[in-house]
Amino acid sequence: MVMKSFSSLGEFVNLPELLDRVENDEDLLTELFALFQEDLPESRKALEAAIDGGDLGEIERAAHRLKGMLANLSAKPTAALAAEIESAARAGNAQKIPELVSMFDPQISAFSAELGSFTASARE
Amino acid sequence: MKILIADDDSLSLRLLQKTLERAGYEVTAVKDGRLAADEMCRAEGPRLALLDWMMPELDGPAVCREIRKQRSERHVHLVLLTSRDSKQDIVCGLESGADDYLVKPFDPEELKARLRSGLRILQLEDNLLEAREEMRYKATHDSLTSLLNRGMIVDLLARELTRARREKGCTVVVLGDLDHFKAVNDTYGHPVGDEVLREVARRLLGSVRSYDFVGRYGGEEFLVVLNNCDASMALSRAEQIRNAIKRAPVSTANGPLSITMSVGVIAILGEEPKGVDEILREVDHALYQAKDAGRNCCRLAGAPVLTQ
Repeated sequence: MVMKSFSSLGEFVNLPELLDRVENDEDLLTELFALFQEDLPESRKALEAAIDGGDLGEIERAAHRLKGMLANLSAKPTAALAAEIESAARAGNAQKIPELVSMFDPQISAFSAELGSFTASARE
Repeated sequence: MKILIADDDSLSLRLLQKTLERAGYEVTAVKDGRLAADEMCRAEGPRLALLDWMMPELDGPAVCREIRKQRSERHVHLVLLTSRDSKQDIVCGLESGADDYLVKPFDPEELKARLRSGLRILQLEDNLLEAREEMRYKATHDSLTSLLNRGMIVDLLARELTRARREKGCTVVVLGDLDHFKAVNDTYGHPVGDEVLREVARRLLGSVRSYDFVGRYGGEEFLVVLNNCDASMALSRAEQIRNAIKRAPVSTANGPLSITMSVGVIAILGEEPKGVDEILREVDHALYQAKDAGRNCCRLAGAPVLTQ
């Protein structure tokens, strides 16, 4: 039953891999989603602020952090975009960043919204 | 088994903690490198750690370097967690003192297998240290009585004399020899002789303080070093030891045997520039006088000999 609700996340995450990682512990998975949602606003704010300030070191760090969380949740396409932002910042390739961010932002918003509806339905 | 995990990402930290707890580890989770280094450098700290590469305060490689510096006497198994997997990063991580690295996001089976390989190294070290301790014990103790052997008791006497000289204290040395022990061996056989030696060792240990030294000096000769013992007490302490041996018969496979000991004793004041050899010669001479006086008695070295 719970599996069925997890499957709605399939668009964003590689579910078989994710379930392997948590050793099929669905309670843990729910807890990790909550930790992600809790951390996300601050991590996104840090990325935005770094971009506004044009600080490549900070952009790299903020993107790295987002990438780590997304990768742990096997949210592969979104994690890959965060990784591209990170490496563009590390390479000093500032012009490339806005374009990457414009792809990253809607994806992570959609993922977070899906998680939100999922955790809401899990509470019902 | 205790393990430390350090990661500033709470999601990753929680995931690691849960995975490791499920695998039976006792987990300490911290969120920055400074806390990780402090925890690992405690004497009773974990000997296994998973360290994220990028952390506030100290990063993973810096934590590795600090732990290697502070805890060099024992092996600590350090695994770096990294999302970096370029060759250069791996080399840098391992050079900082990490034993292994894992690329994030990790696979739980690989994580556990890597930790098991770390545990094998820790186990190997434990076995080696245990074997070394056992060899050290055998090299310094008499196998029959488990008392200190001759080499070790003489060593400890020399160390004690140095300490007494520095602190201007007094050391009392007692040399005891079982009376007519050859007759015990000849009459009842060596196994009974061995029983007697073991019981004498127990009685000697029971008659001194925990910080005194008792050694088997020769076949049936025992050397006792009484640390920080008042010179005026030397003879009475020697008498206590002699009495401990003769007080009750020693029970053996051949029934109870009455055993006595002749004892020479010497008190060395800290300021006396006497060497170990000289002290041993003098206390041996005192023991000879005790034998000469009819055995089962004590003689103090340097005391005037009463002649009739």
